[in-house]
Amino acid sequence: MAVEMRDFAPNRAIESSEKDVSGILSVQIRKRFDAARDSFELDIAAEVPPGITIVFGPSGAGKTTLLECIAGLLSPNFGRIAIESRVIFDRSPKVDVQVHKRKIGYVFQDLALFPHLSVGKNIEYGIRELNPALREEKTQTILDSFRISGLRDRKPNQISGGERQRVALARSLVTDPCLLLLDEPLAALDGPTKSKIVEDLRIWNAAHCIPILYVTHSREEVLTLGDRVLMLEAGKIIAQGLPQEVI
Amino acid sequence: MDWQSLLLTIRLSAIVAAILFLIALPVAYWITYSRWRWKFLAEAAVGLPIVLPPTVLGFYLLIALGARSPLGHFWQSITGHTLAFTFQGLVIGSIIYSLPFAVQPFAASFAAVDSRLIAASATLGASKLRTFREIILPLSTPGLVAGIALSFAHTMGEFGVVLMMGGNIPGVTRTVSIEVYDQVQALNYSGASITALILLGISFSLLSLVYALNRRVFAVWLWK
Repeated sequence: MAVEMRDFAPNRAIESSEKDVSGILSVQIRKRFDAARDSFELDIAAEVPPGITIVFGPSGAGKTTLLECIAGLLSPNFGRIAIESRVIFDRSPKVDVQVHKRKIGYVFQDLALFPHLSVGKNIEYGIRELNPALREEKTQTILDSFRISGLRDRKPNQISGGERQRVALARSLVTDPCLLLLDEPLAALDGPTKSKIVEDLRIWNAAHCIPILYVTHSREEVLTLGDRVLMLEAGKIIAQGLPQEVI
Repeated sequence: MDWQSLLLTIRLSAIVAAILFLIALPVAYWITYSRWRWKFLAEAAVGLPIVLPPTVLGFYLLIALGARSPLGHFWQSITGHTLAFTFQGLVIGSIIYSLPFAVQPFAASFAAVDSRLIAASATLGASKLRTFREIILPLSTPGLVAGIALSFAHTMGEFGVVLMMGGNIPGVTRTVSIEVYDQVQALNYSGASITALILLGISFSLLSLVYALNRRVFAVWLWK
């Protein structure tokens, strides 16, 4: 069943000032890891416009490291990260916005749903500062949009893998992020389940139009989901452009 | 059996466990998440009471809290008496003596919380304090219960520090373990046996109850 576009329409009353800075993500960073036997350097310079950009590459290419640097979970050694005019990291004037103030949604590979909270409480977690009526409205809207209303009172260990993926996506999107980072969120799902979630994500993004970085090492996902592709290998971008051109 | 010393011991243990809960939370959090290079020195200092003979610890506490020390002098200027050989002094000594028995289970349970959950909380806009309150603390409940139980039980059974810091004043600093010692010294083995058995029974029952409860608490968030 296709999801109505209006389900995903952003609520004007709850659009925050951070939402206004949604736009092109600009990343120019270097992050170095030194180990006794091996070292690795991520060296990325890219502009990511609104839409779904696939970060594609083999294991160890630096895909997750790139997302963690953008989210603020890792601190780059050099460079600058900005979303439109809002600088969230800059080494030289020493700007490093804290993770919880970046307004960046992140869906982890293992989803990281809070096991002691119900589905409803997981989704409300990121919008606790809103007044109760607005919070309830947003929660119910996103639950309906991702077809998980019936799971509201269940704990994450009481729902299926596909349902958990939907909850994780809904939890990140309900906060109206200005950028969304997805780290192989659908890797463990079967084809039909994956297609439905991808469809929901596409519709959501058509309404919100924020940059989405979607990490995968599946060629199929690159061709079916992405508007653009960044191909990474050994910490560097080796190709970028339309999926059909790059793959 | 001297019920006065038993009640005093339970009161001391309850107060120490309550205060330790408040002190050990931030200490354990710092030990778990701090990236300070010399953190191991602080960990060693917190763990010292585990390996140090209680009489040695008691001796240092007696000196540190005595009338000639700055702390003891300050206390005396406010209250008119020293901390040594008082119930308050006993509480302070017991807190230091039992500190690792609260801090270590707390720190172990904080460290066991999946770092991805903490990262997820931050990306959802939660501050470190809110993440601690709403994610780390609830998921650490078994470790918190164990830490409180251990510090309570450890305080109930302490002897050396009590003897050095508190002496043997009935109704003030005379705990059950001191009473057992007194009875043995007086060759009253039957009296010592009853008192020791009661202490053993209370400690075992308390620990059994807490660990049983602990399992159930764990099961609630895991399976409910």
